[in-house]
Formats: sequence, C-alpha cells, structure tokens
Amino acid sequence: MSLLWTLLAPVAGSLLPLAAGRRNRRWLTLTALIPPLLALLLLSLTLPELLAGGLPRVQLSWMPALGLDLALRLDGLSLLFALLILGLGSLIIVYAGHYLHRDEPDARFFAYLLLFMGAMLGIVLSDNLLLLWLFWELTGLASFLLIGFWSRLSDARRGARMSLVVTSTGGLALLAGILLIGQEVGSLALGDVLAAGETLRASSRYPLIVALVLFGAFAKSAQFPLHFWLPHAMAAPTPVSAFLHSATMVKAGVFLLARLTPALGDTSLWALSLSLIGLATLLYGAWFALFERDLKGILAFSTISHLGLITLLLGLGSPLAIAAALLHILNHALFKAALFMSAGIIDHQTGTRDLQRLGGLARAMPLTATLTLMATAAMAGLPPFNGFLSKELLLAATLDSRLFGGLGAAVTLLVGLAALLSVGYSLRLAVGVFFGAGRPDEPATHDPSRSMLAPGLLLAALCLLIGLLPMTLAAPLVTLASRAVQGSATPTLDLALWHGPSLPLAISVVAVLGGLVAALRQPQLARIVALFPRRDARWLFEAGVIRLTKASLWLTLRLENGSLQRYLALLLLTAVAMAGLGLAQVERLTGERGVQPLDGMLVLGAALMVFGAVGSALSHRWRLVSLLMLSVVGLSVALTFVRFSAPDLAMTQLSVEVVSMILLMLALFFLPQRPPPWVSTRRILRDLLVAGLCGLVVASLNYALLTRETLSIADFFLRESVPGGGGGNVVNVILVDFRGFDTFGEITVLTLAGLATYKLLNRMKLFMPAGNVEGIHWSRHRHPLILAVIAQILLPLALLVSAYIFLRGHNQPGGGFIAGLITAVALLLQYLARGYDWTRQRLPLSYPLVAVSGLALATATGLASWLFGYPFLTSTFGHFQLPLIGELELASALLFDLGVYLAVVGATLMILVNLGRVTTVHRPSIEEEN
Amino acid sequence: MRPEVALPVIIPLLCGAVSLLFWRSRPMQRFIAVAGTLALLVVGLWLITSVSREGYVVIHMGSWQAPYGISLVADMLSAIMILLTGIIGLGLAIYSLASTSTQHEKFGFYPLMHLLLAGVAGAFLTGDIFNLYVWFEVMLVASFALLILGGEKAQMEGAIKYVTLNLLASVIFLTAIGLVYGMVGTLNMADIGQRLAEAENQGMVEVLAIMFMIAFGIKAAAFPLFFWLPASYHTPAVAVSALFAGLLTKVGVYSLFRVFTLMFDQTMPYVQDILLWGAAFTMVTGVLGAAAQYEFRRILSFHIVSQIGYMILGLALFTPLALAGGIFAVMHNIIVKTNLFLISGITNRLQGTYQLKKMGGLFKERPWLSVAFFLSAFSLAGIPPLSGFFAKFVIVRAGIEAEAYVVTAVALAVGLMTLYSMVKIWNEVFWKSLPEDNLVPESSTPSGDEGRLVKSSLGLMYLPVAILALFAVLIGVFAQPLMEMMLMAGEQLMDPQGYMDAVLGEERTVLLRDALEVSP
Repeated sequence: MSLLWTLLAPVAGSLLPLAAGRRNRRWLTLTALIPPLLALLLLSLTLPELLAGGLPRVQLSWMPALGLDLALRLDGLSLLFALLILGLGSLIIVYAGHYLHRDEPDARFFAYLLLFMGAMLGIVLSDNLLLLWLFWELTGLASFLLIGFWSRLSDARRGARMSLVVTSTGGLALLAGILLIGQEVGSLALGDVLAAGETLRASSRYPLIVALVLFGAFAKSAQFPLHFWLPHAMAAPTPVSAFLHSATMVKAGVFLLARLTPALGDTSLWALSLSLIGLATLLYGAWFALFERDLKGILAFSTISHLGLITLLLGLGSPLAIAAALLHILNHALFKAALFMSAGIIDHQTGTRDLQRLGGLARAMPLTATLTLMATAAMAGLPPFNGFLSKELLLAATLDSRLFGGLGAAVTLLVGLAALLSVGYSLRLAVGVFFGAGRPDEPATHDPSRSMLAPGLLLAALCLLIGLLPMTLAAPLVTLASRAVQGSATPTLDLALWHGPSLPLAISVVAVLGGLVAALRQPQLARIVALFPRRDARWLFEAGVIRLTKASLWLTLRLENGSLQRYLALLLLTAVAMAGLGLAQVERLTGERGVQPLDGMLVLGAALMVFGAVGSALSHRWRLVSLLMLSVVGLSVALTFVRFSAPDLAMTQLSVEVVSMILLMLALFFLPQRPPPWVSTRRILRDLLVAGLCGLVVASLNYALLTRETLSIADFFLRESVPGGGGGNVVNVILVDFRGFDTFGEITVLTLAGLATYKLLNRMKLFMPAGNVEGIHWSRHRHPLILAVIAQILLPLALLVSAYIFLRGHNQPGGGFIAGLITAVALLLQYLARGYDWTRQRLPLSYPLVAVSGLALATATGLASWLFGYPFLTSTFGHFQLPLIGELELASALLFDLGVYLAVVGATLMILVNLGRVTTVHRPSIEEEN
Repeated sequence: MRPEVALPVIIPLLCGAVSLLFWRSRPMQRFIAVAGTLALLVVGLWLITSVSREGYVVIHMGSWQAPYGISLVADMLSAIMILLTGIIGLGLAIYSLASTSTQHEKFGFYPLMHLLLAGVAGAFLTGDIFNLYVWFEVMLVASFALLILGGEKAQMEGAIKYVTLNLLASVIFLTAIGLVYGMVGTLNMADIGQRLAEAENQGMVEVLAIMFMIAFGIKAAAFPLFFWLPASYHTPAVAVSALFAGLLTKVGVYSLFRVFTLMFDQTMPYVQDILLWGAAFTMVTGVLGAAAQYEFRRILSFHIVSQIGYMILGLALFTPLALAGGIFAVMHNIIVKTNLFLISGITNRLQGTYQLKKMGGLFKERPWLSVAFFLSAFSLAGIPPLSGFFAKFVIVRAGIEAEAYVVTAVALAVGLMTLYSMVKIWNEVFWKSLPEDNLVPESSTPSGDEGRLVKSSLGLMYLPVAILALFAVLIGVFAQPLMEMMLMAGEQLMDPQGYMDAVLGEERTVLLRDALEVSP
C-alpha cells in the first residue's frame, strides 16, 4: 500500500504549494520539498521487499471493463527511475527556490513541478500498460504548462505547443500500440505482457506494434527525426529544463523501451530500428551541439545525443549493452542536471547564456566553474568521472556486436566520431564560459549563494564518486534494474576506470585528441556548416501547420462559401446520390401489384398539378404569378383528396391553402417589386438538373412502394374508433385521441412559430414602398366598401360554421384544426376589409394569450387523466341527456380539441394580423378620409 | 402509470406555457426557468434509477396499446440523454440569469428554452417515428426563434440558412416516414423494426435506411451535410449557442443510434460503410475547418462537427463496446462542449470580443476560469484522465478490435488536431498578454453580448461553468460505473428484441411473427 502513497504524495502534494500561499520563498520551497521527501521515505519502506527478491505490488480496480487498473509495481527498473525522479526533483526544487525571480508565481511553478514529478513516478511505477500511458500523457500536459510558464513570451507558448503536439502524436501512436498489445496478449497487466513475449513476436501484427510503440517512445525521447521539439522546449525556466528535458521526461521514452524489451525485444526489427535511430540521433545531436551559441542549446543537443546513445545501447541488446544503457541513464541524469543548473546560474548571474558574450568567468565564479568543469568532464566521457565508464562500455558493446555484420567496423567508427564530437562541444562550452577573454563591458559577477550552488555541486560530486567507486555506488542499483529488464541474463558488472590497455580505451584516447582539435577548429567547421541551408525540422513543423491551415481554409471556403443555394444543391445532390445508390439495389421498380388503370379525372388532376408546379418555377421572376401557380398545385392536392374520399384532408388542405396564400401575399409586399436579375444560364441548368434528379428519385421511390403490397394497422383504427374513441370520424379520433400526442406537439410548433413571428415583426423596421415600380401610388381606397359590408355579413356566418365544424368534428368531417383555420380566416377578413386599427378596437384580443391558453388547455386535459390514474392524454366519453336537445355525447377529447382550436386561431392570427399590421402602420401612404 | 417517462416532456412544456402566460413578469420567468429545469433534472435521475432497475420503462399515451397509439419508451440510452438534458438545462438556466439581456428576456428567451427542452426530451423518449418528427419540428421552430433573438443582421443570415437546410432535412425525414408507412403500415419504431426485418424487399429497406441516414445526418451535422452548423452557431446569444452546441446535434446522433439499431439492423454492409466513412470524413472536415478559424465560437462550432464523427463512428463499428463508446462520447461532449461555449461567453464579457487575436491575459486575470477552460478544452482533446479520454479510448479500442485500422487512425489523428486547436485558444486567450488594441469600453449594465465586465452578474455565470468543469474530471474518476451504464445502453441497442418486447409485449411479437409466417 505504501507504494500507492509513494505515488500519491507528489500528485496530491502538487496542491500543497498552492495551499501554502505566497508567504515567502524559503517557506514555500520547504513546503514543496515535503512531497518528494515523503515519497522517498515511503519508497524506502517498500525497498526491503524488493531487495529480498520480491516484487512489491498494489492493485486497485478502476475501470476493469476496459482493462484499466490502478496497479503499481516496484522492480529494479522502477527503483532506478524513481530514485532519479525524486532525488533530482528534490534538488531541483531547492535550486528553483533560488532561481525564480521574486515576483514570479512560484507556488504555481512548484505545483506544476510536483504534478510532473507525480506523473513521471506514475509511469515508472505502473503495473498496467494503460495506466502507464495515462501518466505518459500527464507528463506531456505538465511539461506543456512548465514550458509555457513564461507565457507572456511567444517563444515559450510556441515551444510548449510544439512539444505537446509532438509528444502527444507519439502518445497516440503508443496508445494504439498498447491496445494492439492488449488484444494480442488478452491483458494489459504488465506482468502478463512481459511474459507474453513469445506470443507477441510471433504475431502477424508484431511489426505494426513495434512501429507504433517505437514512434511513441522516440517522440518522447527526442530521437531523430522527432527531436526538433526539444531545443525549443528550452524556452522553459532552466530548472524545468534541468529536470524534464535532461533527467526525466525525455527518459520516459528510453524507460519504455527498456520496460518493453522483454516483451518486444530480441528480434532484428527491434534491434536494428533502435540501434540505427539511436546512432543517427547520437551523431546528429553531437554534431549540432558543436555549433550552438546558446548554453542551453548546447546542452539540449547534447541531451539528444546522449538519448541516442542510450537507445543505441538498448538496440545492441547484448546483456552488457543493456546494463550499460541503464548505467548511462543514471550517469547522464546526474551530469546533465548539474550542467543545466550551472547554465541557469550563469544566466542568473550574468544575464546571458550566449557563448559569444561570455568568457573568463573562472576567476569571478570559482565554485560555479568547479561544478561545471566536473560535470562537463563527465559529459565528455573523461576519467575519472562516471561518463567515462558508460562510454567505455558503449565502445566495448559496439565492438562486440554482430548486429551490423560487415558494417560493424563502420559503426564503431561512427560511435568513436560521436565520442570525439562530445569531447569537442564539452570543451567548447567549458573553455568558452570560464576561460579566455571576458567581455570588458560586462559588469563584475560572482558566485551565487551557497544554497543555490549546493544541489549542483552535490551532483557533480556524485559524478566523480561514481567514477571512482562504481562498484559500490552504481553497480548494485544498475544490476537490480537490469534484472528487471533481462532477468537472469544480467551480466556481472565489472565497472572500473582502469581495465588495462584495450581497444575501447585507445578509441577514447583518439577521440579526446580529436575532440581537442574539433574544439579548436570549431569556427572553421562552423563556416563549412553555414554553407548548407539548415533544414530545421521545427521549420518543417511550423510550415506544415501553416500549410495545413491554408489547405483547410481553402477546403472550408470551397464547402462553406456562405451561399445558401450552394449548400442546398450540395445537400440535395448528396441525398439524391445516396438514395439513387440505394434504388440501384432494388431489383425491379414495379412491384407485384402492377399499375392500376388510369381515368380521365386522374390524368387531368395530375396534369393540373404538373402545370402548376412547372409554371410556378418558370414564372419565379414574377412573384405574384408564381404564387398563383403555386396555389393551383395546392388546390389540386385538395381535389385529389376529394377524389380519394378523404373529406377531412380536403378541408384541411383547402383552409391551409387559403391561409398560406394570404401569408405569402402579405410577405410579397416586403419583397422588391422589380423582378430579380436573370441568373446565369449555367446555374439555371444546374438547378434544373438537381431538381429533376430529386423529382425522379422521389417519384421512383413512390412508384416502387405503391405498386407493392402493404401491411397496415389502419384496420385497428377503423374498428376501434367508435367503441374506443367515442367518435365516428376516424381521422379526428386519430388526431385527438389515438395520436393525440402528435397533435399536442404540433400545436406547440404552431404556437411557437406564431410567437416567433410576432416578436420578430414587432422589432423589424422594414422598408415600405409607397407605390409600385412605375411610381404609381397605391390605391387611395384601402378599404373598399363592398368588401367591408360582405365581410361584416360573413363574420357571424363563418363563426357559426366553424363552431359547427368544431362540434361535429368527432363524428363527421371537421374538428378543431379546420374550425380554427375557418375562424382565423373569417377574422382576418375583417382586418382586410376594415384595417388593423378598426378591427383591433372592436376585437381587443391578445392572440398570443389565445394560443398559449390553447396549449395550456391541451396540456391540462392530458394531465387530467393522471388524476384518474391513466397515462397522459387518456380520453373518456359518455352520453348525457340534456333537456330540449336530447342525448348528447361528450368526449374528453373535445376539450383537447378545443385546445387545438384555440392554438390554431391564436397562432394563425398572431402571424397574419401582425404581418398585415406592419404593412399598414409603416406605410407612408395617403390616408383616405373617412 | 409511470410518470417519470412522460414528465421529462411535460415539465418543460408546462413551464413553457406558464412562462408565456406570465409574459410580462421577468422575475416569474426567471424563477420558472430554474425551478423547471431543476425538476427536469430530478425526473432525469428518477428515470435513470427506474431504467437501471428494470431495463425498459414504457408508457402508452392515451392508453392505446402499441403499435396503435404513441408509446414513450425509456431504455438506458434515452434515460442517459434525459439526465444530460436536465443537467445542461439547469446549468443554462442559471447561466442565463446573468448572461441574458433584458431585451432577450422580454423577447421570450425562457419560454423558448423550455419548449426547446421539451422538444429534445420528446425526441429522446418517443418510440414512434412520426412523433419523433413532431419533436424535431418543435426543436426546429424553437431553435429558430432562439437564433433570431437579437434580430441582428448576422443572426438573420445565419438563421435563414439554419432553418432552410433543416427544413430540407425535415422534408427528407417526412418523406422517409411516409415511405416506411407505405411499406409496413405502422409508425411504432419497434413494430417497424420487426416488420422491416421480415420484409421481402430488402432493397427497398436499404433505400429507406439511406433516406433516414441523410435526414438525421443533416440534423446531426455529419459530413457532407453540416453546412448549416458553422454558418449559424456563432451568431446568437451565447447561452443559445451553448444550448444548441450541447444538445441539438446530439438529438440527430441519438436518432441515428436509435433508428439504426432498432429499425434497421446493420447487416446491410453498404449502409454500414457509408456510416463508417461518413464518420471519418466528418471528423476530418470538422477539425480542418476549425484549424483555419480565429473566432472563439466558430472554432468550437467546427469541433462540434468533428466530434459528431466520433459518435457516429461508435455506431458504425456496431459492437456493444463501440456503441457504449459512442454514447460515452455523446455524454462527454454534451457536458464539455456546452461548457466551452459558456466559457466563451464569460471571456466575451470580460474582453468584449470573440476574436482570439484581440483577447489575452486571462490566465493571470482569471485563474479559476482558466482552470475551467483548461479542464474542458483538454478533455475535449481527449487528454487523460479527463472525460474525453475515456470516450476516445473506448471508441479507439473498439475500432482496433473490429480491425478498422484506417478509421481508428483517423480518429486518433483528429484527436491530435483537436488538441492543437484547443492549445491555440489557450495560448491566445489565456497565456498571451492582452493586446494593446483591445479597447472595448467597460460598461456597467448587461447589454446582450456587447459591452464588457459586468461584475455583479459574473458569479452566476461561473457557477455552472465550475460544475460542468468538475464533471469533466469526475467522469474520469467514476469511469467504471458510468461505463457500466454505457455498456448496458450499448447492449440494449445491440439487442433490439428487448426493446420490442418491452414496447409491444412478448405475446404480440410472437403473434405477429406467426401471422407473417402464415401470410405470404
């Protein structure tokens, strides 16, 4: 269990600095130190079990359905990394406490750092691949925050974004790889995966898995050609660079490689990919480190190079090579963290990191110089420092390796070259900063406070001590780690500075001498390098982003050019194409029922409709004509309903037709009177094609269906209408009872539409023409007398008719909907005949209220059935004996229908009356004298 | 009588009607807005407990047995969607108290919101295809009215496109319903499902499937049918954008899930291929569209499109796990995307613009808002352990299991580009310093989306944002119980027989099948 707390300490502890507030820096630093130290303590509690040969584990289930468990383990490899993370982390917190400026948001900085530490610890302790991946992404996120810590700087923001995107790309590849592994193995638990090496290597998907996993690891560990984000991540504050970009985050990649070696390693694909990429990275990093001017730049490229070295060693894959890789992970972390600290100190004290502006600091900053020189010597692989040990092992392992066959010698030569270059850039760094001529114009500097130097000095001392006493200090840890990777194959390490004369030593000597020359001749080399254009991959990345943005803009503009016509055409064409594809699957268009005989009336009706539709399209430039043509279609549809004995539908269609015609006529008023300009013939042809295709497809579908047998539940309605619904008119019973819920929804729609129009019109200021295009004023007689008289006579009649239609609706053609429309039209006629104000005075009704109360009534009727314990909208009916009138059947559905009626009247009038009012109120016409 | 199935529709309808009756009373409308959505949320919880206990809860409206009347059916998917509707509704109601201008309130923002929610809830619950159409219409009209609240020119332009293209979808939908009815003579979806499976003419069934796919594809804003969305979503008041972004397109997705599991089985490979590739292209075009944008809400709008692709991918892969992943994605998206829009509203309040180039410095100024954005944005990008990761992860895993490597790779790549987009906003709005040329004057009265910094009312805007951001984290923590719900939903969808039995009654199912076997 203490393992879990080990992990939780920094994760939860990241809140500690935030909670501690900004009292003072020393206090805050101490607070931030608590979590890692606590974690170290907890780790030591688990240690005995590990040393006794056990494998301490914790398992809590989190998402077992997906194979994700909170499972942790501590083996040698985890231990090596955990010590690095926590130990270096603590030192860096101490260092950062001095490094940050007084007024910077330090609490946040420490919080990020601890979060990162926790994430990193999570990676190395995970006993479940998916959990590992989770922490993997979390490190990316934390490093994003840390790199962008100085967020006001554009470089910091861009560096943060780039590192996040690149490492996340790798992360996603890794996720895919892990999922594939999970599928092959059947489990994502690390133990199962590591034991399933045989299965994985035998799988046909092995190459894919390796490619994905390597991509992820290489992106994280900045391997060529995915290295480019690392130098730009140097925009982060230096403590961050020291911790993330040298000691820990970039090591996550190599950690993963080591971790998965038992499962995926031991094939030539694995070995060759790792060693070749590692070699390329080793050389690339070392070469470019030689030409950097920025201290942190040199260190960044050197980090790339050393990561390549580790990858190369892992790729070589011999027991000794793997042990050497683990040793170098330790060594590199120590000296590189120290070097970054010193770079930070120099920057902090002198205000620059530019080699060209630095020099001769050895006298002013003796302690810093000591620290840097020691760490640099380790980096260059000089005895008696720890770097020397791992370099010798690398050379030995390369010489031993048979991986490259005949090319072995060449590879050794290249490794030697890399060693030479690393001596070169190390020398350049050390000499450039501390010796030679200082710049006279620089103000005098001095060593920083002891406590800022202490962490770096400690690390440098460790580099030396490991070099001197490797068997005591490094070997046990490395052996333990190596056991976790290669089990019993772990070699007995024999680390020492002096093994007697050997080929690796000879190569080392040559490399050192060559490095001296390279450092001396650096300016000449730089001139040669300058001859070649520098293709920074970062440049490619940014250019790629820009190109992608442009391409997407182009694509978006193609698809989304703002033209509604184009959208419509595209939508319709898609629909037609897809439905057409479907139609092609139908064997025969004509079904088994075949075609029914035609009669004259049908042909005439169809011809009328076609005429109306085509005419309406042809005359679209003369809007009034076009409208009239459209009404021909509508009326023909009503006639069709009559022909097929659907009187309810015919009545509805008729009244809807009338109301919508009035609506369109009113709307016409606001449209420009001149015919719209003639669009290009090409577009007309296009539209004709689209419309024609749509028509064809829909007609074919209809035809195909109508010529086939159909099942239907209609019989039920016919049978149940009277006994169940209490009404003889099936259509009405369907509307208010069987499918009352639909009607309920529809009146909501209607009310909504009415309200929206009402509100919209109330706020619109529209242009009102005073006459027609020819300049002739509108008629002075707005309210013709005959119309007024007739309208007045018609009103009571029409209301009576609508009442009749409403009441009989349940048994005969009619009902609330039709009655509502009739009432609306009758009232509308008054407005037309007498004008808005006149009618308004005599009929002070709030139509929105009418519509809403209709809606409310319908809802209440529906809810009433709940009182009786029935589902919503359950109806009932009964027969009542009334004096004089006789027997009367009343259905509760009638109340619902009344709601429908009110909603229809209210909504229709809300729309039409307001549209009409707008035309009259704002019309600058000559008022007639009454 | 099972009121919990009908109440999610009735409550908002009633609230809408009552709000309209209290047309002139702003306090009353504001009160009903919060109380009504709270009630909706409570009913949502009630419903989901019932469903997780019983599997399906069915009521037949007007006591007419299926397939003759209209049935409301809640399975796990519906219940989840209703609960989410309640959460978003309440969050938005609270947010709107502060964000909505008096002018918009007078125009009827709250009643319209209620009616929109009623339409959404109706669509999630109905078991009848024509009734589904009716609720789509309710949503369409309500959303149109909400779009034009401000009456500005850009809003009108966006709204016209919105309504025209959506009406076209409705026409196609209605045509498809007509054809289905013509073919099998019933409107109950469970009944349709049974009869279509037995239908002799599978070619026609395929055509019908495609018609529905197009209709819902437009509603869901899938490729290449999404034009209306980026054209309109950035124009209205921000609370409206958020409501649309969270819920509206998801109704289209829900309908796809429902119809393509219940009515059409996916044995038609042709249909499944279209869904699969449609999903891939939707993801890609959406995310590419966002890459070129520099307006906060437009970026988010394009990402809606792209995320729709993930959900459809879940459907197209058609395994219980994939469906569960798709639903997980829907849930995560509703919460996170709404929240991002809400946050954009606050930043607009603070800085007076939606243009990224003119914004900046909010990280220093508003650390907690930054945290909320950070969580939501990175959740959208699928960074663990936030909600989006689980959605993406489940779908990707299902994709790999189904060996649909190309589409899975596309899904992963799109996640990456989403990350890029979100970082773009983060860098520009939060990290970058406020540019000199942002000279939007401070104003002291709420004035719609213009003006900046209204201190007194910001608290109410923060509250839902904070809660929704917390959800993005909690979904990750409680991934297992949630995933169990999603898996239950996915399994229910994979086995439509359960739904059919629940709606039609087991005896009837058998009877019908016998009848079909007897008659040629």
